[in-house]
Amino acid sequence: MPRLHLGDWVDSGVDWLVNHLSWLFDAVKAVVEGMYNGINDVLTAPEPLLLAGILAVLAWWLRGLLGGVLAFAGFALIDSLDLWDRAMSTLSLVIVATVIALVISVPLGIWAARSKTVSAVVRPVLDLLQTMPSMVLLIPAILFFGMGVPAGVIATLIFALAPGVRMTELGIRQVDAELVEAAEAFGTTPRDTLLRVQLPLALPTIMAGVNQVIMLGLSMVVIAGMVGTGGLGGAVNEAIGQLDIGLGFEAGLGIVVLAIYLDRITGALGEQISPLGRRAAARARAAGDRRAWNHRPRPAVAVVGAVVLALVAGGMGVFGTSTGTAEASATDVGKGKEIKLGYIPWDEGIASTYLWKEILEQRGFDVTTTQYAAGPLYTGLATGQIDFQTDSWLPTTHAEYWKKYGKQLDDLGSWYGPTSLELTVPSYMKDVNSLEDLKNHASDLDGKIVGIEPSAGMMGLLKDKVLKEYGLENSYDVVDGSTPAMLAELKRAYAKKQPIVVTLWSPHWAYSEYDLKKLKDPKGAWGKGDGVHTLARKGFAEDNPEVGEWLRNFSMTEAQLTGLEAQIQKSGKGKEQDAVRTWLKQNPGLVDEWAPVGEGQSQAAG
Amino acid sequence: MSARLEAQHLYKVFGRRPDEAVDRLRAGADREELRADGTTAAVIDASFTVEPGEIFVVMGLSGSGKSTLLRMLNGLLEPTAGTVSFDGQDLTALSDRELREVRAKKISMVFQHFALFPHRSVLENAAYGLAVQGVPRAERERRAGEALALCGLDGWAKSWPDELSGGMQQRVGLARALATDADLLLMDESFSALDPLIRRDMQDQLLQLQRTLKKTIVFITHDLNEAMRLGDRIAVMRDGRIVQTGSAEDILLRPATDYVASFIQDVDRSRVLTAGALMDTSVTADAPLCACETATSETPFVELCAISARLSHRVSVVDRANRVIGVIPRQRLVGFLGDETADPAPCDNPDGKATTHA
Repeated sequence: MPRLHLGDWVDSGVDWLVNHLSWLFDAVKAVVEGMYNGINDVLTAPEPLLLAGILAVLAWWLRGLLGGVLAFAGFALIDSLDLWDRAMSTLSLVIVATVIALVISVPLGIWAARSKTVSAVVRPVLDLLQTMPSMVLLIPAILFFGMGVPAGVIATLIFALAPGVRMTELGIRQVDAELVEAAEAFGTTPRDTLLRVQLPLALPTIMAGVNQVIMLGLSMVVIAGMVGTGGLGGAVNEAIGQLDIGLGFEAGLGIVVLAIYLDRITGALGEQISPLGRRAAARARAAGDRRAWNHRPRPAVAVVGAVVLALVAGGMGVFGTSTGTAEASATDVGKGKEIKLGYIPWDEGIASTYLWKEILEQRGFDVTTTQYAAGPLYTGLATGQIDFQTDSWLPTTHAEYWKKYGKQLDDLGSWYGPTSLELTVPSYMKDVNSLEDLKNHASDLDGKIVGIEPSAGMMGLLKDKVLKEYGLENSYDVVDGSTPAMLAELKRAYAKKQPIVVTLWSPHWAYSEYDLKKLKDPKGAWGKGDGVHTLARKGFAEDNPEVGEWLRNFSMTEAQLTGLEAQIQKSGKGKEQDAVRTWLKQNPGLVDEWAPVGEGQSQAAG
Repeated sequence: MSARLEAQHLYKVFGRRPDEAVDRLRAGADREELRADGTTAAVIDASFTVEPGEIFVVMGLSGSGKSTLLRMLNGLLEPTAGTVSFDGQDLTALSDRELREVRAKKISMVFQHFALFPHRSVLENAAYGLAVQGVPRAERERRAGEALALCGLDGWAKSWPDELSGGMQQRVGLARALATDADLLLMDESFSALDPLIRRDMQDQLLQLQRTLKKTIVFITHDLNEAMRLGDRIAVMRDGRIVQTGSAEDILLRPATDYVASFIQDVDRSRVLTAGALMDTSVTADAPLCACETATSETPFVELCAISARLSHRVSVVDRANRVIGVIPRQRLVGFLGDETADPAPCDNPDGKATTHA
């Protein structure tokens, strides 16, 4: 069989689109971002509990008293978990994605219901969109729209489009043919037949589709979090990346609350707006279901309640705006300028990223940090979505990324080195000391090497080079996973004194935590040690000369790095910046050393 | 004013290359040949005329093409060949928009399964046709209310279709069709889904309404009894063709084909036949000779038997001017009931009396 170069065609197609249709993507991006920001601003303006009240009144009206109380409890729970802003960001994202998905899918569904040809064309496309692994769609989405909300919204709505189209088509097709014929027999125009007969009768099915769109959108939120949409999805991703079961559960619970709320509300809304649903509800009421917890206020009462709460909320928003005044001082270099940091959840990456977040904030910059997988991180840097990242292992480990994106990046130099990559075993495995010894222990180890993220450079190096050098490629499988999963596996095996071999690197806190042994590499297959480099987007150093200067001059000793890593490890997840502050207090003077603001610097700043 | 409906050489063929199929049918190909090619000839060369104020029944079994025929009369289906003219207008030549106009104002339809809109109240259903025409709310509700009253649904206007029994739902369907004041009413097996008793009620009601409204009605049914009860004239369809058109009595007394003959075997003749069909027209007079009870040509068979039983001689059939237009001897009544048209055979005991043993 000749090799079909489908992948190459897709590649060049995507490149062509990026080069020639960027105006279109920018327009789409502007619309999506505008919608998202608008909705998010509205949702985050009022006090959390007030908005929770408004949402609860909505639930009360649509679902009854019990629904209202539960909705309030659910949102109060989200607030008490400190996830309010993230939840509102997720809610905004889902709302934007749902609205756009419906704007596209309902007309498409109607069209498909009226034309067999359209239906036949649309169906396989929907299958493709729905079943294509979402990660595959995410990277092009980044290339087209950049990291962040628009890419997340587009990926989400593409995924969520299918049920909207299908249920609309199904709903219209299953309207009794005799009713449609009756409408025609009385001279109804096709448009009126659609509006007066088909759509009203298809509405329950269409609303079920809307509901599915929202649910799929919510389920996609976590994956979209990988492209830096933030919100609960971002929280879940961070938690997974750092093996933080607690935070993951909390964020997951937030998603569940949102999901249940949206599900019940859209379900009830479907009943409210569809004539058939209203009819059924009226019959149920006539049947005498008048218990207190099913009490529902009349629409007017509900509207008044929501408006009063909204007015209060608006008032609070007006009077409660934070009055943080930027103080002009010698250390305020940034004057609120925004800098975006990206990082891979590796320990030295977390440590150095939060260190720089703290330093830059002390210097008056407004810093956001977002966690990514390695691939999206480099894509984001290359497209200018991220300003800089501090955790690039060059020249060896991240060589592939450098090869691909190097031209679009600035290397601000190494701040730590040399590093080393290695396979590591617990020291209780007495007879395994070198990579050569692994050959005879394949059965003890089940033929498994516990690896990290498959996108990590060292994984490629291990699979393509190291295993071959030592003739291990047939006896061992490298298990793809994640750094936290690898560390968890190491911890588990270590506690039971089971044999295990993992991919690890120095510096790493695991070496101080456990009694481990780096396997010797007599053939030098891993190559020379890397330096940990800071990479910035092209032009960042020119735009921010001081920061560029600081980063170029930045370096850390092993003691400093491991000390900081240990502090972060001790403080726990979610408190990285506090740990940095504590550590900086213990090591005074470092901020001024790394980010000096003296005579020379202020001239540069001027 | 009512108007005349005329269908000329209507063909409807479903499937590939319908025009070619029509040519083949005209050249004498039969339905089965076409079916082998994957085309279905639903209606073949149907022609008929419906006079104003007449109930014209199209009768046939399922698959005979009667529903397709009906849908060509208001343009829901476009004939493959042939023309339909109504009220002097050739419907097959109209644009979609003009056709919709005609359907909205001049032709209305009553469906087998009622086809009421479940999301509209009874009143809104009855007013639907008027709403489509853009009649203002107050007026259309008034007219819909009148139509409902006409169909015996006073007081049900605010109810919902699913709260009504089948018979009442079909009354709403009928009211919806009457509300637009259309001249032509197309009724597609409209009473077939109802219980027998209710069906009878509805038939009676339709006949009663028709007496005052004088609509032109095309009624589709598979039930010959219903056809005979309702139809001024009946067209019997088989395999897409109209095999016989005529009055109930024509069909019953002079079936054109074996198919029609086999069809009418089960018909309860006593319900269909009237004095006009039974009488011996060789006897006429300017007035009856006696003051005894007489019949008219519409007097049904059962009543005729009752009259005959009360009289000692033949029943005279008179017209409106009380002229005798025929007579019915008792012999004829018994003969028609037994499907025996021959004269009585002579008997060897002329008295014809059974001997009684004292």
